[in-house]
Amino acid sequence: MKSVLHRGPLAKLGDLSETRYWVYLLLFPSLILLLLVVAYPTLYGFVISVREMRLTRPGLNGWVGTKHYVAMLSDRVFWISLKNTAIWVTAAIALEVAMGFVAAVALNRNVPGTKLFGVLILLPYFLPNVVAGHMWALLLDPRLGVINDILVKVRILSSYKAWFADPATAMAATIVVEAWHGFPFFALLFLAGLKGIPEDLYKAAAVDGAGPIRQFRLITVPMLRTVITAAVILRVISLVNSPDLLLVLTGGGPGNATQVLSLYAFQTAYREFNFGYAGALAVVMFVILMVFATLYIRLTRVSKD
Amino acid sequence: MANLSIKDIQKSYGALKVLHGIDVELEDGGFLVLLGPSGCGKSTLLNIIAGLDEPSTGEISIADRSVTALPPKDRNIAMVFQSYALYPTMTVERNIGFGLEMRGVPEQQRKAEVRKAAEMLQIDHLLQRLPANLSGGQRQRVAMGRAIVRNPDLFLFDEPLSNLDAKLRVEMRTEIKRLHERLGTTIVYVTHDQIEAMTLATKVAVMKGGYVQQLADPRTIYERPANMFVAGFIGSPAMNFIRGKLVVEAGRSRFESEGVRVPVPVSGAAPGTRNCVLGVRPEEMKVTTADNAPIKGVIDVVEPTGPDTMVTVRVGDHSVVARAEPRFQGRRGDPVAFDVDPLSINLFDAETEERIVMGSVHQDA
Amino acid sequence: MLKTSRGRRRMADVLTYAVLLTMTFFCLAPIVWMFLTSLKTEADIVTSQMQYLPARITFENYRAIWTQSNFPVLITNSLVVTTITVVICVLTGTLAAYAFSRLSFKGREKLMLGYLLVRMFPAVMVIIPLFVMMRTVGLVDSRFGLALAYTSFLLPLFVWMLKGFFDAAPKELESAARIDGSTRLGAMVRIILPLARNGLVASSVFIAIAAWNEFIFALMLTTGQGSRTWPVGLQLMVGEFQLPWGVLAAGGILSILPVVILFAIVQRAMVQGLTAGAVKG
Repeated sequence: MKSVLHRGPLAKLGDLSETRYWVYLLLFPSLILLLLVVAYPTLYGFVISVREMRLTRPGLNGWVGTKHYVAMLSDRVFWISLKNTAIWVTAAIALEVAMGFVAAVALNRNVPGTKLFGVLILLPYFLPNVVAGHMWALLLDPRLGVINDILVKVRILSSYKAWFADPATAMAATIVVEAWHGFPFFALLFLAGLKGIPEDLYKAAAVDGAGPIRQFRLITVPMLRTVITAAVILRVISLVNSPDLLLVLTGGGPGNATQVLSLYAFQTAYREFNFGYAGALAVVMFVILMVFATLYIRLTRVSKD
Repeated sequence: MANLSIKDIQKSYGALKVLHGIDVELEDGGFLVLLGPSGCGKSTLLNIIAGLDEPSTGEISIADRSVTALPPKDRNIAMVFQSYALYPTMTVERNIGFGLEMRGVPEQQRKAEVRKAAEMLQIDHLLQRLPANLSGGQRQRVAMGRAIVRNPDLFLFDEPLSNLDAKLRVEMRTEIKRLHERLGTTIVYVTHDQIEAMTLATKVAVMKGGYVQQLADPRTIYERPANMFVAGFIGSPAMNFIRGKLVVEAGRSRFESEGVRVPVPVSGAAPGTRNCVLGVRPEEMKVTTADNAPIKGVIDVVEPTGPDTMVTVRVGDHSVVARAEPRFQGRRGDPVAFDVDPLSINLFDAETEERIVMGSVHQDA
Repeated sequence: MLKTSRGRRRMADVLTYAVLLTMTFFCLAPIVWMFLTSLKTEADIVTSQMQYLPARITFENYRAIWTQSNFPVLITNSLVVTTITVVICVLTGTLAAYAFSRLSFKGREKLMLGYLLVRMFPAVMVIIPLFVMMRTVGLVDSRFGLALAYTSFLLPLFVWMLKGFFDAAPKELESAARIDGSTRLGAMVRIILPLARNGLVASSVFIAIAAWNEFIFALMLTTGQGSRTWPVGLQLMVGEFQLPWGVLAAGGILSILPVVILFAIVQRAMVQGLTAGAVKG
């Protein structure tokens, strides 16, 4: 039986797909693109961090070596940002893990209506930071905020509070907003993890006389360990990297009460056009994240077995 | 005219060598079964024959035409997969006719051929269904229909029955045999089920660790296994192995072990003793009351299966299974003796585990 | 015994519903409040006595944001950028995902890891050099340039997600098609792509939402009307014009509408892809 197909360019491409060049042909387009928009800019980023580059002063240009890194050591805002990043990321993720876990356990009981609840709970994760920020700014507004109104009505507060303007509460308020935005991510992953635990394990444990608490401690937590760790690391990376929410909510203020590294770096570039210093800040962030990245890769290697 | 020739096929994945120079010749209309435990390389070999995998070295010819460099579509073969691999989005009719469609066969002719194949397999009433709405046995038939409609040079079967329940498996096995006899197409069939190999094959290649351990017709494989692996792999319950000594003196030879003394027809062997292993199939052990019985032991377990009764016996340090008649009377702890036909036994070298070829009486086929 | 265990189960069910309702309220209340605000008159919003439900429903805020600002232009820009991003990712990413899922080649694991690592690069670190690069080639303030920048983090995501969906289609299907007379290309186009259609849609929607929502890259890489996307535009409006809450809320609702609709349509497949990619990767 001989092929009687018309030999068009598509047929030629088909023949090519049977050769060993096919795989390169498939990979080539995306690889080129990523080299162009990721690999090259990243390398270039390292170069910028050891150069002077200010768009406002084109004359200032050239190799400065470690100048930016040295300047960072005595930059008060850098150290505050570093501390705030640690606090903000840790607190937000702790809150998100806890809420995500409770939500996942509740969703995993499969009571009637679970599907709808699942979709609704997931929704915040897909909303843009810009809208999420303004939405919460409205809720917590010092003059018109409905949360202030409710808290005063139930007599927790005596008067309306300017949550984002008070250095004492600004950080906590932004953490709540981030938790609202981010906890569905954990709920989603934990739910997938819970569903992967065989029902038989619980039955066996119940037959062996283990109560719900011991089942939770001996089965649920160990079985979820990989998922929890993977989810946390993914979220750490994404939180350390994205300044959006804080940019919208507080712009790092009041003072530097909510200033974090990513926002500081972005503002240094965007407002002051000091690309060299901003680049150096980004490189430091990158190094910090690489520690997590290595951890992450090890973890996926383990989980693959 | 569709013979298959496999010459020195080797395959490595990086440092891992999975096939060490496979040579097989299969005549036109032959039915070759590649038999072995999982990981023995049989599926890799099948994929190489199909062109789905490339050999590191070696040569495949189908119908005297070298196909080593050809993609699967140009080899004029058909394949039935373990998971059936029916296209989920296509009806049964289109599934069966897909190969013809790809070769540009006009629709009218295609429909006729699909119907003919479907009738042969008794699935002509299912043609408009989607695979999701078929039972396991029906899917199996569709997969076979897809293969036969093409009228290929060579059929490849990759463990086609292993996803079916026991009853259906026997039924489909018969169906495949009938099909082979009717169409006369050359077939290569991969399985780990020795019953399938015995019932279907004209030639069996027993594989292990990337080597063909023995290539022969099923009878020879069963009666004269080339080594202890083949002997143990074929037959259920498995062949009994008893370790002991081959004693040759004054022109006579016998095998000795605790509770065992079997005369062995070995001719022309030098006098002396050597360590070896006696292999005897359960059905060759005949219960006897004779005093000088060659095998004596004590009953351990008695298991009636209906047509026969399996008796597990302690013979010295060994546990030996005999297939006794259904009304066998005997209890745990009773002494029991067995007679064996010297021509039915096999002896294996204790070191190499290769079969010891025994003189003129036991000519190999 | 039976009675107590049944009682315990009922208690657990009640508790489950309590948790789910609380969480759903926590998730939805802010959105509902924003929606209510968008329907209120200015007088109902700025009052000394908190007005929970609008006294009079008005669409004035929607009219205002749509006609009195450049919101339509912003939305159009976002649509264009999102479309270009999705097209680039689908065209190049589908091929790569297919290769990762179906073909074995030297360095496959390493390359996949590379695609994963890209997700960990700080956005700021890529933004600055990208800005300088794009200014050199004249792609700053261009919708195409912005879409190109988006592929830097969305393409790897797309590839990983789609690979998960491709993995779900049995490899034997392709082998069967190739033996039936297809080339590799034919098997991919005729058999695998139709099977992974849902996954392709879900992955595309996922990156479409991400591109639609993106803020930081857009803020840095767009400077004028020509390419500014709605998140940037909305944010600047708030800063420059002291946008009234009602109008801002209306803008927010309008801009999340496509997200909510898309999400509702493909949420199941998207959840599947997201968890597969995240748990495995």
